[in-house]
Amino acid sequence: MTLSPYAPIVGLFALAAFFALFSVASARIAGPRRYNRAKLDAYECGIEPSPQPVGGGRFPIKFYLTAMLFIVFDIEIIFLYPWAVSFDQLGLFGFVEMVMFIGTVFIAYAYVWRRGGLDWD
Amino acid sequence: MTTPAVYLAQDPTLADFGHDPWWISLIKVVAAFVFAVLATLLGVWFERRVVGFMQVRPGPNQVGPFGLLQTLADGLKMAFKEDILPKGADKVVYFFAPTISVICAVTALAVIPFGPMVSMFGHQTPLQVTDVSVAVLVILAASSMGIYGIVLGGWASGSTYPLLGGLRSSAQMISYEVAMGLSIVAVFMTAGTMSTSGIVAAQAGSDRSASLGGFEFFAPGWYAILLLPSFIIYFISAVGETNRAPFDLPEAESELVAGFMTEYSSLKFALFMLAEYVNMVTVSAVATTLFLGGWRAPWPISIWDGANSGWFGLIWFFAKVILLVFVFVWLRGTLPRLRYDQFMRLGWRVLLPINLVWILALAGIRVLQKENSDAVRWGIIGGALLVILLITLAWPDRRKQPPRPLQEQVNARPQGSFPLPPMDLVVPPSPRARRGVAQRQPANVGGGAPDVVDTTSTEEKED
Amino acid sequence: MTIKFPDIDYAAIAPLLIMFGVAALGVLVEAFVPKRARHLTQLVLALAGLVAALVVLVTQAETRVVTAGGAIAVDGPALFLQGSIIVLAIMAVLLIGERSLEKGGPFVAQAAITVGSEDDRRQAARADGATEVYPLATFAIFGMMLFVSANDLLTMFIALEVLSLPLYLMCALARRRRLVSQEAALKYFMLGAYASAFFLFGVALVYGFTASVQAAPGRMAGGVDFATIHAAATQSPANRALLFGGLAMIAIGLLFKAAAAPFHVWTPDVYQGAPTAVTGFMAACTKVAAFGALLRVLYVAFDGARWDFTPVLGAIAILTMLVGAVLSVTQTDLKRLLAYSSIANAGYLLVGVLAGVREGISSTMFYLVAYGFTVIAAFAVVTLVRDADGEATHLSRWAGLGRRSPVFAGVFTFILLAFAGIPLTSGFISKFAVFGAALDGGQTWLVIAGVITSMVLAFPYLRVVVMMWLSEPGESTPTIAVPGALTAAALVIGVAATLVLGVAPAPLLNLSDTAGQFIR
Repeated sequence: MTLSPYAPIVGLFALAAFFALFSVASARIAGPRRYNRAKLDAYECGIEPSPQPVGGGRFPIKFYLTAMLFIVFDIEIIFLYPWAVSFDQLGLFGFVEMVMFIGTVFIAYAYVWRRGGLDWD
Repeated sequence: MTTPAVYLAQDPTLADFGHDPWWISLIKVVAAFVFAVLATLLGVWFERRVVGFMQVRPGPNQVGPFGLLQTLADGLKMAFKEDILPKGADKVVYFFAPTISVICAVTALAVIPFGPMVSMFGHQTPLQVTDVSVAVLVILAASSMGIYGIVLGGWASGSTYPLLGGLRSSAQMISYEVAMGLSIVAVFMTAGTMSTSGIVAAQAGSDRSASLGGFEFFAPGWYAILLLPSFIIYFISAVGETNRAPFDLPEAESELVAGFMTEYSSLKFALFMLAEYVNMVTVSAVATTLFLGGWRAPWPISIWDGANSGWFGLIWFFAKVILLVFVFVWLRGTLPRLRYDQFMRLGWRVLLPINLVWILALAGIRVLQKENSDAVRWGIIGGALLVILLITLAWPDRRKQPPRPLQEQVNARPQGSFPLPPMDLVVPPSPRARRGVAQRQPANVGGGAPDVVDTTSTEEKED
Repeated sequence: MTIKFPDIDYAAIAPLLIMFGVAALGVLVEAFVPKRARHLTQLVLALAGLVAALVVLVTQAETRVVTAGGAIAVDGPALFLQGSIIVLAIMAVLLIGERSLEKGGPFVAQAAITVGSEDDRRQAARADGATEVYPLATFAIFGMMLFVSANDLLTMFIALEVLSLPLYLMCALARRRRLVSQEAALKYFMLGAYASAFFLFGVALVYGFTASVQAAPGRMAGGVDFATIHAAATQSPANRALLFGGLAMIAIGLLFKAAAAPFHVWTPDVYQGAPTAVTGFMAACTKVAAFGALLRVLYVAFDGARWDFTPVLGAIAILTMLVGAVLSVTQTDLKRLLAYSSIANAGYLLVGVLAGVREGISSTMFYLVAYGFTVIAAFAVVTLVRDADGEATHLSRWAGLGRRSPVFAGVFTFILLAFAGIPLTSGFISKFAVFGAALDGGQTWLVIAGVITSMVLAFPYLRVVVMMWLSEPGESTPTIAVPGALTAAALVIGVAATLVLGVAPAPLLNLSDTAGQFIR
């Protein structure tokens, strides 16, 4: 019986999952339990930990902006991959199209750069 | 091509995969997993020994020969430590986050080619768990899914430092994933495939571009040489992607305690460490495969025909991986940590545009080589010149704006800002400080040579 | 492996490419031109691009071709609608560019600032507005032009997103009444995303339908280009549930953009909250694009299912006319009134679409152009009636305006009469054309409903007219600002077109008649 070439990936995934879950679960059993209220508090420098709002709270909008930029460029990359793989067949036509595409994304990139979207502070 | 065809035949192709009996697949899967765990155990030891050597101290040398078993001992110790579940934690996510990291890190190893076709219990089979036509995408997918482990771990801890660490690492990893994803486009373009074994074979195939300028000397077809910018960018972004020094900002001790793992203890903490080291080995293995010729022997050895056959491949593969891991450790031992804004600027403003321009330049050169019509050639060259001209014209001015006068800055503050102390305020020297200086003075005079005394006093005058 | 490259007729899609190039250039202008020169540069760039696209379009008037790998159809309706989008967009850009009515123009630089915060107050005092509105508008125009010429459902979806996303943003940019503006943008975005999802789901179902019909051996697999859908729909297989489901969902996506009931609920809030120039742009150009796409989908792709969808869409048309007419009677805000009138007009347009004959196509296209001119002129007048808080849009504030400024009240009266469909205005001719086409197509029930709701709809218009002329101006009656050159130009074009199309409609009727033939 032979397997699909994708099957071993799933196999390795399952083995790793088994190992990881086993480790996490066994740590509860193997380790000691010595209750201490302070130990369960959030690790912080002060005496009273700063309260965490429900749901993780808010964080700087810069992270959202980075995430959106990532989406833009990740999609660009996804379009680049098939083009790169069949580059030899696509030839000049593919090259010109890709120059247009990258050029268009570059325009957006220039805008973000100039408007400070890439500054982090 | 120096290698005869009989050895080339050992190059696995995509068609060679998917024919293994299930028990050989199982052996390979288990072997890959054992490799991951062993690589961590030895990798931690290796790192500590090398950093120790660089810092002129022995490093771990007590447990086992050369301290080899130190990591194992640490791991066992961790299993018997208390598993703390912080009060503010999201219990389910907190529990599963480390497993996500580990699973993703290990899964990526499934498509790494460790060697050529070998005979395993009478079966001819490639020394690689499996290969698919989109193998590199599998690796990229696994590495980006791994980010979830870190982000969720940081978020679910219900504590400030881990949250910031997790966010930082997610922003950092996605930023450098863009650079990494772009850097391997050039590899796909040159190799014409995304399967890892195919890329290794393609690098061997491009060995023959040997005679340069009339001289007959050997140029290996490694993409690290052919596509040097891609390799450099890949390696830089690999360091960023694995959160290693000098890009280890998510766990910057001086700012964030231990970043996203601050609240983790016991084996959960160990799993994060495991994932980090497996990731380091994985990106090294990917770099080896994509840029350093994979399991094929480096040049002087490859003259010997047998070097690329059978189980020998493992030796060259591991040698290259260990070399790259050494570079990782070397970087950690040498470089100070970057500031976060500098780090993001490097990723978005330097690596990304260089990458895109390099891809376009490479594509343009390759089209130039293939196209015969002069009009197209001059069109491409003219276009390139035009782009260079435009970029030069539009390049932002480097001159610094003169700083605004202080009074203007003060006036520009919005209504209701905090009151400012007067600008010409001079703080009188505190009496205690003066006393301290006075006490130190005689000690200097008494203990040091006259020139030492002189420097101290001039310094004080300047103050 | 050999790859077959698509043939691209660059001349035929040149207007599209020009608009896209202008939009991309606009982004670069934002990035590199100094702040002081930006507004003028952008305005000139946008207008020049629109005029250039129009000129190229006119030179291509005889083109009838399906190009770009079957993704774009350049035929009579596509060219006619693209041309009308460009002309109406020129008027809208003139309105958008007006800066003399308000210091810094009607747009703010940063739409996301929390309303009422310190930053918000500082922003309100700043003299510079968002010049990003120009690239946004040109991108939207590009999307609309692609929308009416898309020859497969996926290209249509891309065009839908390209035209929608800039509009969502533009809604949030109003300088006055920031909270209402943000609310409008968010509502429009949420509902628009929902409608887009419907559209996409419909595309998937239609793909499944074509694949199931053509699964016979030797046949090509399914597709979402209109020729394939047409071929599959005319085969009339046993199971057409996928076809109907898909068509229904696609129609929901398109009717949402066209503001037809019951997918109209966003319209009053968005029209009221958006900056008035943008509202005019949406009311005219988006309507053209949405009905252009609807025409193409119904006539080119789903022609084989005509007898199945006509009753359903007919019911929607009647509902739309009723909702628009009845609810506009109860409105007290002028922008909301115009919004409900726009909903009712969507109903009349649907009557034309459902005529099912060639006159249906041409009369709908004529209606779109005539209505677009009038509605932009109407919103241009709304921008002029101002007090210290910006535009005074409450109906009661307009009482007595005729005494204070007879010229503008006269102009607005004329516009309202055109909406009401009084003879000698374009409104009469276009309604007449649409109802005539529907009678030809045998849709008498729709015409009856249309005539009745038209009479109902005349009431709110006439009420405004009466209020303007027969009331005494009071303390709170706003002044009418002197329009700047740009608003004046837009207003003159709009009113003149309304009058000319009412008195001498023959040239445009002939043009729309010659253009009213789709290619497949």
